[in-house]
Amino acid sequence: MSLSQPKMSVAELKERHLAATETLNNLKQRLNQTRRSLLDTDIAGYARSQGKSAVTFGPTDLVCCRTLQGHTGKVYSLDWTSERNRIVSASQDGRLIVWNALTRQKIHAIKLPCAWVMTTAFSPTGQSVACGGLDSVCSIFNLNSTTDKDGNLPVSRMLSGHKGYISSCQYVPDEDTHLITGSGDQTCVLWDITTGLKTSVFGGEFQSGHTADVLSISINGSNSRIFASGSCDATARLWDTRVASRAVRTFHGHEGDVNSVKFFPDGNRFGTGSDDGTCRLFDIRTGHQLQVYCQKHSDNDIPPVTSIAFSISGRLLFAGYTNGDCYVWDTLLAKVVLNLGSLQDSHEGRISCLGLAADGSALCTGSWDTNLKIWAFGGHRRVV
Amino acid sequence: MPAPANCSRIFSKELKPHVTEPASSPASVRTFDRSSNAGSGDGKTTVSPMSVIAARSNDAGDFSSEEHSHELSKLHGVKESSDFNDSNWAFTDSLLSLDYESSRDSSAKNADFNNEGKSMCDVKGAPIVTLNFNNLDNVDGDGNENDNEALVEEFSVTKRNKGLCYRCFKGSRFKEKEVCLVCSAKYCGNCVLEAMGSMPEGRKCVDCIGYPIDESKRESLGKCSRMLRRLLNELEIRQIMKAERFCEVNQLPPEYICVNGKPLSFEELVTLQNCATPPKKLKPGSYWYDKVSGLWGEEGQKPCRIISPHLNVGGPIKPDASNGNTQVYINGREITKVELRMLQLAGVQCAGNPHFWVNEDGSYQEEGQKNTRGNIWGKSGTKLVCALLSLPVPSKCSILCGERTSSPVSKRMPDYLEHGIVQKLLLVGFGGSGMSTIFKQAKILYKDTPFSKDERESIKLTIQTNVYSYIGLLLEGRERFEEESLLNIKKNQSDVLDSTGTISKKKTIYSIGTRLKAFSDWLLRTMASGKLDAIFPAATREYAPLIEEMWSNAAVQATYKRRREIETLPSVASYFLERVVEILRADYEPSDLDILYAEGVTSSNGLACVEFSFPPSAPEETVDTMGLHDSFVRYQLITAHARGIGENCKWLEMLEDVGMVIFCVALSDYDQFSTEGKGCVTNKMLASRKLFETIVTHPTFEEMDFLLILNKLDQFEEKIKQVPLTRCEWFDDFHPVISRQCSSNNKNSSSNNASLAQLASHHIAVKFKRLYSSITSRKLYVSLVKGLEPDSVDATLKYAKEILKWNQERPNFSLSDNSMYSTEDSSFSFTC
Repeated sequence: MSLSQPKMSVAELKERHLAATETLNNLKQRLNQTRRSLLDTDIAGYARSQGKSAVTFGPTDLVCCRTLQGHTGKVYSLDWTSERNRIVSASQDGRLIVWNALTRQKIHAIKLPCAWVMTTAFSPTGQSVACGGLDSVCSIFNLNSTTDKDGNLPVSRMLSGHKGYISSCQYVPDEDTHLITGSGDQTCVLWDITTGLKTSVFGGEFQSGHTADVLSISINGSNSRIFASGSCDATARLWDTRVASRAVRTFHGHEGDVNSVKFFPDGNRFGTGSDDGTCRLFDIRTGHQLQVYCQKHSDNDIPPVTSIAFSISGRLLFAGYTNGDCYVWDTLLAKVVLNLGSLQDSHEGRISCLGLAADGSALCTGSWDTNLKIWAFGGHRRVV
Repeated sequence: MPAPANCSRIFSKELKPHVTEPASSPASVRTFDRSSNAGSGDGKTTVSPMSVIAARSNDAGDFSSEEHSHELSKLHGVKESSDFNDSNWAFTDSLLSLDYESSRDSSAKNADFNNEGKSMCDVKGAPIVTLNFNNLDNVDGDGNENDNEALVEEFSVTKRNKGLCYRCFKGSRFKEKEVCLVCSAKYCGNCVLEAMGSMPEGRKCVDCIGYPIDESKRESLGKCSRMLRRLLNELEIRQIMKAERFCEVNQLPPEYICVNGKPLSFEELVTLQNCATPPKKLKPGSYWYDKVSGLWGEEGQKPCRIISPHLNVGGPIKPDASNGNTQVYINGREITKVELRMLQLAGVQCAGNPHFWVNEDGSYQEEGQKNTRGNIWGKSGTKLVCALLSLPVPSKCSILCGERTSSPVSKRMPDYLEHGIVQKLLLVGFGGSGMSTIFKQAKILYKDTPFSKDERESIKLTIQTNVYSYIGLLLEGRERFEEESLLNIKKNQSDVLDSTGTISKKKTIYSIGTRLKAFSDWLLRTMASGKLDAIFPAATREYAPLIEEMWSNAAVQATYKRRREIETLPSVASYFLERVVEILRADYEPSDLDILYAEGVTSSNGLACVEFSFPPSAPEETVDTMGLHDSFVRYQLITAHARGIGENCKWLEMLEDVGMVIFCVALSDYDQFSTEGKGCVTNKMLASRKLFETIVTHPTFEEMDFLLILNKLDQFEEKIKQVPLTRCEWFDDFHPVISRQCSSNNKNSSSNNASLAQLASHHIAVKFKRLYSSITSRKLYVSLVKGLEPDSVDATLKYAKEILKWNQERPNFSLSDNSMYSTEDSSFSFTC
């Protein structure tokens, strides 16, 4: 009797679980319906009704003024320093290169213990760089440490504990000691670099986290306790580092993996780029989707978005696509105002990453053609 | 929840603070917002003071390099002090690269010039602005542009004028320039970085990358010029020079060197360059080499050096190699007059045109005679004489090292090959297929120190933690068995007594004492909460005696006997549990075999790789030089964890440069089941097949060869005796005709069961082959492996190497590849 009782309850539990899942899905559907019915307009519609017109670009307004050559493999990730014009780039050739973006000089070339690197980030002070990849370890390099006899920079700290590849990492602004990583094990982790231990884990088995690999994270620039994550489960989630137990909000809408999330400069919304070929803008306070940025192609084949970045005002959204295009969107009118992929000096391969200089003066793109390019404004822009 | 319409308004409002904020940078993205609000303009650009570029391109060659460097250093200074925040990209670029104009259309140029001119003024005290200000001041945009075009055209006509930079067509012959190693194009300091890019192969124009260097410039390889030193930092210089010296395309082409009338092969050149005393500054040309004495010289000349003897390089020496006419021979070569003179001065009897036989140590004998007549270097004066006659003398180390270098094994790998191409092998498989065992086996097989001290330490902790978890599983089983047997007893008793039920505290053989019970409960609780990892490595010492007591407990032993009934207990557990007491000691050191057996040693999350080269095979096999070459090729074995390889796996594309995919399947999985995330139970063999299909169809591996490893053959042989292969639905159609076959054919085979295992494993192999060819219409290579046996893994990895080699050579065989690559296919009998 004692043996058969738990069996009964298991079957019963399964039944109840199934019923509960169904109810949950129904509720989710209703929620989405309600959301859709509430969405009577989007930004572009409203801006048009207010008589706004899109930003226009002349042929010389955004030009490629530097090509950073030096990697021998696909470039996967890049990051700017917050103060000086330094760029760190990570490539499949197993190296991080720290560039002086003005002179194109390589300041450091760091050979990595694991060549399959997916992400890299500069610390806020620019004294160290972090990187992570398929080895599931986030490695920190102090740029001031002395090189060993082979001329390699030693790893100063290894943050290990993820059970899947590290897809994304970013330092907490103004703190050289904290870092957030996103990983293929469906979690994000806030690390204390001085101890090398996890401070908190976001998501995972027992918590309401992502249900697939986390591909990208972005920390809110105006409130560094808030960060967003994008995942293969086609959602973006908002997290508060003080409340690791559950996501503050989940943003549905995309129909494919969310490859890139980036906070809007004002910190009240964030943008996403996805495998479904669209970029979207979400408001973190209302949980609403504000705008979809989707360019209709003639052949119905929309290339996935790989990476996005906002201009410092937020008026422009730069989005890199797998086919080598890099659109500049007017966020207000949802119009493509320029395609960097069609310019003369454009990349020859997929644009895999992009980033804006801290002062907003230049955009850097990294590509599978092994080069990085810096795009800046062709001088003093005239009023058009 | 605010209405979306509001959101949009908020949004546009919030853009405004940025908009009204004074733009500190003329070249910043911020300006866009201003433009969007400020209404429309007429689209005209105002003409501003002329730009640096225009000024520059008009007065060709007036700058001295000193001025340039001055400007550059000034620029650096500004940048370094970091008040250059509003960096004007266009400005700095125009200083560094003058190709700026040519890369864009002319209208762009015009606009740029105007704009740059303006921004020029923002930068304090840039002296160059005033240089040619006057003559351009009043020209309007169009005129200026035409001027430029005319100028460019003019230069392109007069290009290749001596002393001019090949890119900007300026400068004089006195100005420092960098020369391309391939095409001898010269570039001035302004253009060199632009023209040569990042110099992945050293100082070559971007167009020349990949071409061999001009041999006359071999001397200057790796010697950095002052100009480059000024332009680049130390690290970059070091990297570029290293690349220049060691990149493969810059190496001396072996066929350019002729020794004793025979052009060298790649391996011969490597041998020659890596011997103890190599010829100095090897240039293309014809040489003679006396293998016995080590004398080396240019064809038709007297010897110029004594290099290591007995190198297997070039053809046999010819009598007229040094074009001598003295009729005195050394080792079959007619010596020159100078040499004869030296021999005479060294006191060697040279009357009667003798034929000498000289060894590397200088001892000589006459041909056909047995006894040594003396040593050329025996006399102290000989070396002085040689120096006077400019003949070579043996270096000390050549004598000392002579013996050592002659053994092929100790040969050092040339530097540039270490940086050369690495063949990558990707090893994937479903969890528990034993691919980590194969990985560890490869490490033990091919690495001198497979595991470092730290690694061994962490492996030890892993093994100990594993053992605790095995014990936990065992105790869990014990509880279940105890409960079951209690139930049975109760049932029996209730059958007999039919009442009371007070005998509940009856003991069974699975019952343990209270102390152990408490420990057991605690261990199970810890396991359930998933904190075993955190507690155990540290607590090992404390609990070791308790474990010892427990292991010797009869109840635990009784449970251990029934371990097959505990499904969660992995099969390797018994290997460790048998030695539990020894392993849990603090001074335990895992043996290689322990490491092979241990679970979770290779980073179970993510990716691990090991780089190795196959050791050269036994000397008698290396008759052809391919064997020698083999030992230079490096291989990298990469294992990737299967979890996460799904339909749309993003990171598999990062592994597109692997040469081959090795897919690992455990044969013994056919009756195993795994629970996937949603709780549905699947057969592990079918799960393996699904993963196999996913990987084969992944676009990254479209054209790649696959090697299927059917692993755990040893376990399979055991299991197939008890469990029929048809347990897995994929192998429903396996009906071996054993009975008849055994009696007739397999008399000499060791046992019936072995042949059953063979049949079954080949059935599985063919199933996979069919699946593979139905997807790709290509052939699948299959190998049966016992992961725990070194020889078996070694053979498989060598097989993988052979497949890679065939693929490289396949273009050479235009014939169909079927006959060459036939692997053991369906030659075994089975019925379908």
